[in-house]
Parts: sequence; structure tokens; C-alpha cells
Amino acid sequence: MTDSILLQAKELCWQVKDKVILDNMSFRVTAGEFVGVIGPNGSGKSSLLRCIYGKNKISSGQLELFSKPISQYDRRGLAQKVAVVLQEPPTRFELSVIDVIRMGLTPNKPLLSFDTPQDEQKIKVAANQVDLVDKLEQSFNSLSGGEKQRAMIARAILQSPELLLMDEPTNHLDVKHQIEVLELAKSLGKTVLVSIHDLNLAAAYCDRLILLDEGKILAKGQVEEVLTQTTLQEVFKVAAVVDKHPFNQKLRITFDVKPPEENASNLDGTFEQVITESVNLGKTSNG
Amino acid sequence: MDNQAKSIVADPDKLKPRRTLGFTSQFQLIAIVALLFLFITIIAAIGSGSVDLSFQQVLDALFGCSSESSRCSVNPISEQIIWEIRLPRILMAMITGAGLSVTGAILQSVTRNPLADPYLFGISSGSALGAVVVMSSLTSAILTVTAGALIGGAFSVILMLTLAGRAAVQVEKLLLSGVAVSFMLSAFTSLILYNSGPEMASTLLFWMMGSFSNSQWSELWLPSSTLLVGVSLFFVYRRWLVVVQAGDESAITLGIPVNQLRLFMLIVCSTITAVLVAHVGGIGFVGLMIPHICRFMVGAQIHRILIMSLLVGGSFMVWVDVVARSLFDTQVLPIGIVTSALGSFFFFAILKRRSEQTS
Repeated sequence: MTDSILLQAKELCWQVKDKVILDNMSFRVTAGEFVGVIGPNGSGKSSLLRCIYGKNKISSGQLELFSKPISQYDRRGLAQKVAVVLQEPPTRFELSVIDVIRMGLTPNKPLLSFDTPQDEQKIKVAANQVDLVDKLEQSFNSLSGGEKQRAMIARAILQSPELLLMDEPTNHLDVKHQIEVLELAKSLGKTVLVSIHDLNLAAAYCDRLILLDEGKILAKGQVEEVLTQTTLQEVFKVAAVVDKHPFNQKLRITFDVKPPEENASNLDGTFEQVITESVNLGKTSNG
Repeated sequence: MDNQAKSIVADPDKLKPRRTLGFTSQFQLIAIVALLFLFITIIAAIGSGSVDLSFQQVLDALFGCSSESSRCSVNPISEQIIWEIRLPRILMAMITGAGLSVTGAILQSVTRNPLADPYLFGISSGSALGAVVVMSSLTSAILTVTAGALIGGAFSVILMLTLAGRAAVQVEKLLLSGVAVSFMLSAFTSLILYNSGPEMASTLLFWMMGSFSNSQWSELWLPSSTLLVGVSLFFVYRRWLVVVQAGDESAITLGIPVNQLRLFMLIVCSTITAVLVAHVGGIGFVGLMIPHICRFMVGAQIHRILIMSLLVGGSFMVWVDVVARSLFDTQVLPIGIVTSALGSFFFFAILKRRSEQTS
């Protein structure tokens, strides 16, 4: 079991001057898993990913990739093992889609080398995998949000990484494109660590979850273990109901607009009733 | 969701080479046209001037007469004009145009600022101060104006990096430091100018606005070799330079030491600019304008922009020099005046295009 551990953090801390951003985090990601990092804004999701791709140097504890500390990898060596799909990349210059995807070759090509016909073929295969082969020569800025994310995934595919990190890949996307991007990430068969805001998507796509709050891991494990009413109310400070979706039996999270205390004192169980009714309605329509 | 999954399954038919080959050929075609245009530019520029020379005379002088000397179309005086006056001047203009354009392209990429140009870091002000100090003091017995300008340009870069300190790795702070140095050194230059005589002030102003009048063969080796080394380095790092255009964070995830790369490129660009300014004075807008035109023509791939900047920038500056020396019969205009005038029209054109796109 130990040899399949791809990423492991032990008592990881990261602080900027005196401010502790990530505090005493321990977790592991095994090969082939699709792990979600969830939590409210400012909980440390992106900072954690930055530690893994080498932007942030951890202050204490251990962070190992294939049992070797991340700090011992050189930049290029790390980029050969870890690919990152960032939130929409800023491009002021008119880079074409093929320019952006081609960047994925960088970690695996010597500085002085030229792109070979095999490299061109690899670019096309990656572009085809994300269904962008017809748009290779278009300006990257002219793509829709979902297409940009797919182009970034194609760039990551070209890196041939062992671990794919995705920083809130579904932000600013409509439902169709959110599903499309996560479906694509899942279809790659890589080990994926994704930070994600939408808890229903996290429940639907992730094998395991790590729930962060104020820089600490509040819960980790199987989706059902992490997404409980108690933990969600504690972290997001909003009344939450967790049940099974009537259509696909995946976990479903429903939030109320009012804080949990108000619901408890004023509504006297009305919110629960509404949710129960809606579940029953779903079951009826499903059956 | 199954439908979504099906839509992204690889389709082998789409992998057949189609437009990529055409795309590369298109760039090669543009580059060949630009190279031919540069060659024609040089021949035309050699022929034009106070003594007009025909195309045949220029070719005879450059490549030797095809038959006996009696049938040669060029006389020894014309030959002397071409080899000793016009050719070094044209080559200096070409090297300057190519150098400023290529450094502008690199600076715009590494700072991701489309308004970055070779004078962003006060190099022009530093060189002007160096030149002014040499001209207006006893040091002119020891140093040439070129050497003074070179020292001034190098001084401005060192001062900018020192003032920026650890913040030099951040683009915005580096730019601010450059602007501060530029103003600081300009203030000193103005002070010396204010206290100097009218003749000295006039000489200095002419130098600051740029001119190829004093170009000689002996002065060409330093700008040309600096440019050659600089461009070679740009080509070596081209793969990283194109990635930096998409953002620092993105480049870091691809294993690129962004801050070190940026600092190194700034130093290389500054060296090229300082050498050029020391030889020909401050010539604005070229380093800003040509990379924009080239990016529009061939896209954002750095090696393409570099090749085009060298060719288009070289041709452009030779034509500017032709205009500067032939617009008025009685005097040669400073180069900076012509480039600034053309530059302002260029920006109006960009503004108009952007307005049309947004409306």
C-alpha cells in the first residue's frame, strides 16, 4: 500500500512572516485517486496547491512526492511530474491556442531543442483529446471559458505528469462546461488533486475529499465522511442538508440562505420539512 | 454526462496534418519577403542622397564590375562615397533599428507590458548624461562621447537595479525604479545643459535626438557584436520567453525560473540599448512600434517575432535615415524627430483600430 502513495504531507505548515496560512496538515494521495480540496474562500486551498507545485516553500513539516521531499526536486524535475491547470491564465498578448498547448512541451524539452514532427503530432493528439483540434490557430483569448480550461488541460496532458493539480477549474463556467471539464479530467486516468468550490460537483466526481477551514484540515476521507451536515455548518456557517440525489444517488448538499442559528430558533424545523418534501417529490418523479 | 464524455473522445481523422504546414509556410513567406525588402532597402538607400547613384552603379560598387574597368558604371569618387560614407551609415541604421526592435520585443514579453520599450529603464537618460558630462568637461580629453554615453547607460541600469533592490524581481517595482532613475538623470542633464553655452547645448540636443551622421566602419564592430550575442541569447531562451508571456504563475508550473530569466533578459536588453544609444543617440518609438507590427504579422511565437523584428526594424530605420537626410536639401533632420512623428501616427492608428473593434 505504501508504494502506491504518490503525495504525502506530514504536519505541513506554511507561514508568511508571522501569519500561519497552512497549519499542521497531514494527508496522503495514492496513485490514480481523484481527490478534492474543499473549503470556504481563504481556507488555504490555492496555497496548498502552490506548496505542491513549488511556488510556496513550506515552513515546517514534510511534503513528499514519490517519497522524495518536494524541496529536493529542481523546478524542471517537478514540472515533469506535476502539471497544473490554473484558473484562467492572463494573456495580454494574442497567443494562439497551439502556442498555449505547445507550452506543455517545455519541461520535457532541452532549452536548445527544436520541436520535432513527433512533438507536433503530440500537440494534435492532446488537442484532439480535449476537442480543440479545429481551433488550434485561433487566438486563445477568443475561446470561451470552458474551451480555455480545456486548452490548459491539453497543455497539462503534454507535460505527461504523474499528478495533475487543478485550481478551481470550474470557476466562472456554466453547468454544462463545469461537468465537461471535470469529466475530461476524470477521463485522463491520472492522479488528480483539485480544489473546488461547488460541493455537489466535488461529491459527484471526487473519490476522497480534504475539507479545509482557516488553514487547517477539518475533515478528510470518503465523500460521505467529509460532507456531513455538522462539518458543513461548522465551516460554511450556513444551514446545510445532506442527502442522496434522487436521480443519481450521489450525495447532494442543499444550503439555506440564513445562518444555522436563525433556522434553528425561528423556523422550528420548517427548513428540514421543505427539504424532506423536495426529496420525496424527487423520488416520486423518479419512480 | 455520457454524451459529454463522447464529445471529447479522440477522433483520428482530425489528427491528419492540415493547416499547420500552411501556417509555417506563411511565416516563412513573410520572412523571405521581409528579407528581400531589407536587401532592396539597402540598395535603394545607398543610391539615394545628395549625389544620386543608379541601381547599376550601386551594384557595381558593391559587388565589383562585371567586366573590364573601362565599362564599369561607377567612378572612384562614387565608389568612395558608397564604401566610406553611405554603407557604414546604412549598416549602423540597420543595426540600430534591428537592435532597438528586438530588445523592445523581448522587454514587452518579459514584463508582459505592451508599452515597454528599450528606454524604459532610464538608459537613454543615463547615456545622455554621460555624453553631456564628457562634452561639457575636461574629460573629453580622456573619453570619447560614445564611451561617456556607454558608461552613463551602464550606470543608469546599475542604479535602477540597486534602487529596486530585492524588489527587482517584481515587474511593477522594477519599472517604477526605472522611471525614477530616468527622471533623476534627466534632471542632472537639464542642469548641465542650463549652465552650458548655446553652442554646446545645440550639439548636445542634436546628439540626444539621434543621428547616423558620424557612423564609420570602425564604430560598427561593437554594436554589431553586442547585437549578435544578445540575439543568440534570445534564441537560446526562446522556449521560456514565450511561456512567460502567459503569466508568471503559469511559467513557474512549467519549471521556469521566471525571476532569474526576467532579470537576465533585462540586463541583456539594457546592454544592447546602452551600446546603441552611445553610438547614435536616443531614438524613440522604434522599440515600441516595430514589435507590435511584427506580433500582428506573425503571432506571439518569440522566434518569429525576433526574426521579423530584426528584418522589419532594420529596414524601417534605414528608410527613416533616408527620409531624415533627403527631406530638406539644406539640413539633415535628427532621426528621433522622424521616428517620433511616425510613432505618433502609429499610435493613432492603433487607437482607431481598437475603437473600431470595441464599437
